[in-house]
Amino acid sequence: MTWYEILIAIGAVAIVALPIVLHFVRKKKGKSSCSCGCDCASCDKCRYNNSSEKQH
Amino acid sequence: MIRFALAGNPNCGKTTLFNTLTGSTAHVGNWPGVTVDKREGTYKKLDEKVEIVDLPGIYSLSPYTPEEVVSRNFILDEKPDCVINVVDATNLERNLYLTTQILEIDVPVVVALNMMDALEASGDKIIIDDLQKQLGVPVIGISALKKQGTDELMKRAYDAAKHSRSGSTVLENSSVSGIISKVKDALPADLESKLFHAVKLIEGDELEIKAHPEANEIAMKLKAEQPDDGFEGDYEAVVADRRYDYISRKFRSVVIKANKKGVTKSDKIDKVMTHRIWAIPIFLVIMFAVFHIVFSEDLFFMNAMGLNIANNPTAVNFFTGMGYEGLLEEAMANGEELSLGIPSLGVFLQSWMGFLTDGLGELFLSFMPEGTWYTSLVVDGIIGGVGAVASFIPQILLLFLFISIMEDSGYMARVAFIMDRAFRKFGLSGKAFIPMLMGFGCSVPAMMAARTLEDEKERDRTIRLATCFSCGAKAPIWAMLATVIAAIGSSLGFLSSIFVFLIYILGIAIAIVFALIMKLFGKNNEVPPFIMELPAYHAPQFKNLMAHLWEKLKHYVIKAATIIAASTVVLWFLSNFGWAFWQGLVDIEDSIIADIGVVLKYFFYPLGWTMGEDGWMYAVATVTGLIAKEDVVSTCEILGVSGSTLSIAGIFAFAAYNLFTLPCMAAVATAKSESTKKGFWVTLAWWFVSSYIVSFIIYWVLHCYEIAWWIGLILTAAIIAAIVISALYLARRIKRANSQATA
Repeated sequence: MTWYEILIAIGAVAIVALPIVLHFVRKKKGKSSCSCGCDCASCDKCRYNNSSEKQH
Repeated sequence: MIRFALAGNPNCGKTTLFNTLTGSTAHVGNWPGVTVDKREGTYKKLDEKVEIVDLPGIYSLSPYTPEEVVSRNFILDEKPDCVINVVDATNLERNLYLTTQILEIDVPVVVALNMMDALEASGDKIIIDDLQKQLGVPVIGISALKKQGTDELMKRAYDAAKHSRSGSTVLENSSVSGIISKVKDALPADLESKLFHAVKLIEGDELEIKAHPEANEIAMKLKAEQPDDGFEGDYEAVVADRRYDYISRKFRSVVIKANKKGVTKSDKIDKVMTHRIWAIPIFLVIMFAVFHIVFSEDLFFMNAMGLNIANNPTAVNFFTGMGYEGLLEEAMANGEELSLGIPSLGVFLQSWMGFLTDGLGELFLSFMPEGTWYTSLVVDGIIGGVGAVASFIPQILLLFLFISIMEDSGYMARVAFIMDRAFRKFGLSGKAFIPMLMGFGCSVPAMMAARTLEDEKERDRTIRLATCFSCGAKAPIWAMLATVIAAIGSSLGFLSSIFVFLIYILGIAIAIVFALIMKLFGKNNEVPPFIMELPAYHAPQFKNLMAHLWEKLKHYVIKAATIIAASTVVLWFLSNFGWAFWQGLVDIEDSIIADIGVVLKYFFYPLGWTMGEDGWMYAVATVTGLIAKEDVVSTCEILGVSGSTLSIAGIFAFAAYNLFTLPCMAAVATAKSESTKKGFWVTLAWWFVSSYIVSFIIYWVLHCYEIAWWIGLILTAAIIAAIVISALYLARRIKRANSQATA
């Protein structure tokens, strides 16, 4: 394997790992990990804060 | 950092003010339920930073709805330094009902009189000084949309926050003032906002009764001693009556109405758009027009009229992203003549985006060695897979531009109204349609908006049905299949837009059938009341539309760079290597995914669309689509299929399965957090089973048409008859239940 083949292989593994890592980072930060984007009414902090207030 | 809360009625402009103050781009909608939870941001123009909390829209501080509980708990428990009560100036009397309740809490209050620009445009006036004197708190006229008066509002709120304020009530000189002061004395001495708690106890507020049982006993005794004043002891009604009485007596004089005729421009438009008979046909025409502009291969129906642009290579290249050569070769290979109309704007943009992503692949191929695993990974895997999804971005943005226009102009609120009127008699609540309509954007916020439904089971049912409303992530699948449909229709390019239109209508129709089935087997026949303000029609705000599109674009790009890119790399590996992967690249037929695909193929075999030789590829695409729906398109691209090998029955059945099945992993996580525990598992089972059944029925009914049209017709008639009979039976059951309740 040449050095650039190793580099591309590492890059591919990083691409696969990225969403999994991001999921846990966001979860740890207390942010929503739903990936629905910021146009959602319950994005980020508000969703986290609400977890203790769920009515059902 | 100090904290201000924005509180007010639904649709009074709280979120617009929040965005103006904090520079956020939170979703603004003109129907209730857009903000289902509190949202936070920072205002930085004062001496110290101010945290702004946008609360959901509410009509009162009584705990009737989840939004009211969230807002009330926040003001009472989290104790913001100031409450900015946002009031719609064009609808003062009704908005002040909430104001009179907020004023009873021991918290500094500033009233933001929003939409002053709209009020002035209508010719009406409000004497702000008089209003301020009556309320006893600062009142500032603003226009959140035009950013007028917002800095002055924040300065006044900042000043107000420096001084504590005791609650005051408009019930002071009313018949209940005596009881209020006695109940207030019975409450614990160290309790804050005693006035608010006392009034709520007199109203019979459930939360207050639980929290202060002793004071409640005194309140009950005092109420029993009072003479009946026409409300038969219903003190909630008594208090509401006193509040409205005060508001109409004291505040009517602060509004100077211009002499106008009663019918507004909006009323005139509504006479047509919400017409008893024409409303639904108009809605269907609007929807078709949108899909035609976004997905049609023949915008002006040229081919249907025997016209085409195929003999003009420059025009073909312009409209199809330099695709003349390819199209010509394809037509010749099929033994046909090239026939093309002028495509719609959406198809035009998609063609050019496809040209750019293909170009990017060719660029990489020009300097990377052919036949190596890493060239295949970069060009076929990452650029091919992600590029296939990316090429649809302009088309999807155009679709969302139209949906945003419908929403921002006030038409989408009418759609909920039309739906409610049509389906209430079958036990379907209009309030549940609002979250579902949000599902046209994304299933996740749609499921979250279901929080506005009070009934737990209704909420679970709504979450279950959210997937029927085709979200943005599914649109690339329809666009991919629409191209195939247009090709099947040979010279009828406009069939592509008809196909997408039918898929959306199928989604709505099946949602109604599903709701009927759930209602038929459910015990609850009650239809919860649905109150909704229809906002006045207005021209959509350019800034709002751009904010919606920007959020959508950002969402798409992030998703393409993370989940879709990761899925394509995994899929590329599985489709290019065998189980002995260390031995290097193999043909797709010998790959790991081919072996997995064969198993999946037979699982989906009864649904028709995996019966062909490449059927396993559609099965794999469907399964990868369970992670994110865009993966269906990227998987098809990597595996080298586009739907062209499917029959019409197969295309519709494949589309139906992907429409009704589990939407994506994000939606599953949301359904889990928003449903009851049992409800979540039922929802998961429902998505898998119902999509399988619908896809099965669609395939075999359409296949029967392909064999003999009359068999298909009989089957269709039988299915429609079963649905109509069930609906009529349900309508009768609901009518009977209602008449029993009335008796």
